[in-house]
Amino acid sequence: MSDNFQLERERSSLSSFPDSKSLFSKLKSGLLPYAFLTPTLIVVTLFFFIPLVMVFILSFTNLDMTNFGILKWWQPANWTLDNYVKIFTNRFFPRILNNTLMYVSMTLIFFNVGMALVIALITTNINRRVGFTFRLIWLMCRLTPVVVYIMMWKALAGPAPMGVINKHILGPLGIGTGEYLLNTNPWLFIILVNGFIGASFGMIIFSSAIEAIPKDYMIASKVDGASTWQTIRYITIPMIRWPLLFVTTYQTLSLLTSFEQILLLTNGGPGLYETEVWSLTAYHRAFSSYFGNTQWGYGSAWAVVLVIIGIVMAIVYLRVFKFNELIQEPKIDQL
Amino acid sequence: MKASKSLLSISLIVILVMSFTAMALAQDLDIIPIKVRCRAKPPMEDWRGNNFLVAEKDLNADLEAMGDLRRVKVEVIQDNLDWGEYITEFVLGYGAGESPDIWLTGHEYIGTQAEAGRIIALDGIIKEFPIYNLVFDTLWDCTKYKGETWGVPQDAEARPLYWNKTLLKKLGWSDGEIAALSGKIEKGEFTLYDMLETAKQAVDKGVVEPGNGFWTRPKNGPDFTPFYYAFGGETIDSATGKLVFDKTAGLKYYKFFYDAAQKYGSMGCLGLDWSSAWHPGVTSKVLFWVGGTWQWAEWAEKFLKDLGGEAYMWENFGFGLIPAAEKGGKPNSLTHPLAYLVSSQCKYPDLAVALIAKVTNYGPNTRHAISSTHLGILKGQTEYKFYKESRLLSEALYMLDYTTFLPNNPYWGTYSTITYEALAACVGGDFTAEKAVDFVVEGLNRELGDKVIIK
Repeated sequence: MSDNFQLERERSSLSSFPDSKSLFSKLKSGLLPYAFLTPTLIVVTLFFFIPLVMVFILSFTNLDMTNFGILKWWQPANWTLDNYVKIFTNRFFPRILNNTLMYVSMTLIFFNVGMALVIALITTNINRRVGFTFRLIWLMCRLTPVVVYIMMWKALAGPAPMGVINKHILGPLGIGTGEYLLNTNPWLFIILVNGFIGASFGMIIFSSAIEAIPKDYMIASKVDGASTWQTIRYITIPMIRWPLLFVTTYQTLSLLTSFEQILLLTNGGPGLYETEVWSLTAYHRAFSSYFGNTQWGYGSAWAVVLVIIGIVMAIVYLRVFKFNELIQEPKIDQL
Repeated sequence: MKASKSLLSISLIVILVMSFTAMALAQDLDIIPIKVRCRAKPPMEDWRGNNFLVAEKDLNADLEAMGDLRRVKVEVIQDNLDWGEYITEFVLGYGAGESPDIWLTGHEYIGTQAEAGRIIALDGIIKEFPIYNLVFDTLWDCTKYKGETWGVPQDAEARPLYWNKTLLKKLGWSDGEIAALSGKIEKGEFTLYDMLETAKQAVDKGVVEPGNGFWTRPKNGPDFTPFYYAFGGETIDSATGKLVFDKTAGLKYYKFFYDAAQKYGSMGCLGLDWSSAWHPGVTSKVLFWVGGTWQWAEWAEKFLKDLGGEAYMWENFGFGLIPAAEKGGKPNSLTHPLAYLVSSQCKYPDLAVALIAKVTNYGPNTRHAISSTHLGILKGQTEYKFYKESRLLSEALYMLDYTTFLPNNPYWGTYSTITYEALAACVGGDFTAEKAVDFVVEGLNRELGDKVIIK
């Protein structure tokens, strides 16, 4: 009886509103989410989409130090494919591509996903407080400003008698002649330097994902006599496929575009293009050269190709990890 | 009491009148901010910019004396940014309408900036300052582009071949032979390949490690060009102003560097970090190396101070010209004068040029020359009391007779990048000399087209 009364009151109160109010209300509820999105949309448009379009257009021009302020780069009459021809006919193009693939794959496999997963598995299977402390310590290299971090590595790799590794490890063991280790093993250091930082990201994501797996599964597997490896292989890994996809994709794209550590550590050397990766080439062409012949158009073309490589890699990952299956509703919810 | 009151009133009136007069005068003064941007290695090269702080007072006194109500307020910005970034900063700053009024840079950038209209030609203004007649004519030539003068020379230097006397002694050279080396180079009796032979002997006998026989700078830069000149190369066509690449000279030049790295135990220097590897290397374990006179001050101040600085260096290092390519040939050096340029956004170019005139004088220029071991730029500067007291500047001065220059051309940067990449590939063993020349010809044609002449 009271329910009917309440319903009646609501109906009468609704009918008492004029039609225009109802329209305003509808409009309001329809537009409100967009109003909230507008600031983000403006920021993303201003600082991402417009620069992206500009870089894309610049990649078809020969804008450089000599014609900056003179060339009307926005006019289609000044657009050509010359920069792309230059990239693919550059004799060092295969070396740069090879360096990029090696850098991304090695860092990703051994550190950003591999090491991250190992640390996450270990620290979630030991005393919770100890695991937490260990992860916190590992995060230190990510929290350290990149210039300071690289200075530390340079001090580690320095030639004898100043270099820490040479003086305190290799010297006493009688290994090497005390040479500058960044010159003798540049790739090892580049992968280590990036890997230590990169692993911390996956470590956090994987740790929280593993912690979120219901304990019942683990207990059940132990009751069934599963070994630790079997538990990891058949329960943990399948249960964290989504974070694995996310970390792998995110870190691949991140590594493809990151160059600041390499810039500060070897600047693409010591040999000619020895550690030059794609994004560093884009930077060098667009912003840095001894005699200041910065070629913004040419550098933009290198960056655009990198964007295309990134998109292709992302699509490949989505297919390999069966993204569509991952985002389907759990079967239990469909019943 | 009454008398003191009236005295107080008179005093107050006088003070008020004086204050109003001072305020009125002050209001008429037009304070002109002049921004000076310099690249300088602290502390040796700080006078490049700091001289302007001294000049400010001097110029303001001149302005006051002649009744000009303008006064300059100098702001100096100087750091040791890489050249590429330093140039980019100016270009982008200009694009934003915020370029410095006075900009110090290498003379080879003049072509680019003049073509883009970012700097002004100074011929008309510098005529009014006779002090500029003191600057060496050859240095003025460096700041000319398309017949006009675009900058005022700031300093010059020589790029000698240095050698380590201690290591030469270990190799069996006598003191007399070591002392005679710079003379033999000057006469063309000790060639580039003689130097490599000596380097190889040092490696073979274990005096230096493989790779340390002979070093150049570790990255692209002007030091390689005199070697190309030594083999007969030329970089600019005087008739057309276009860049030139000479294939015959290029082949010899690349063969020299290929041989140096692959056969003579040298050139283990490319890609090294300046501070942590290159400077410590040349000051201790390398037999021959090419550097600049300004590095003499740097080594004394930063790298060998604990061992005795300059005294240690005179004891252990020697220097001479870059040897000739063939017996009896002419040795050379390269000077890379820096110049003060005036931005076309500068609202008072006459004041900017007047300020530059103040620092282009014996006192200020010698201060910079001595502290940074750069060569002087003024006629008669060698007779100036304080300049004469610098042993290095006096002993290196003859090198200006053998000096060469980089070309003033807007596309020198591109040219230099391509030719250096080929050199680095030869040193790394990736290219033979022939392949390097092919690479350069292909690259120059692709990047510069008809802006370069291939001979």
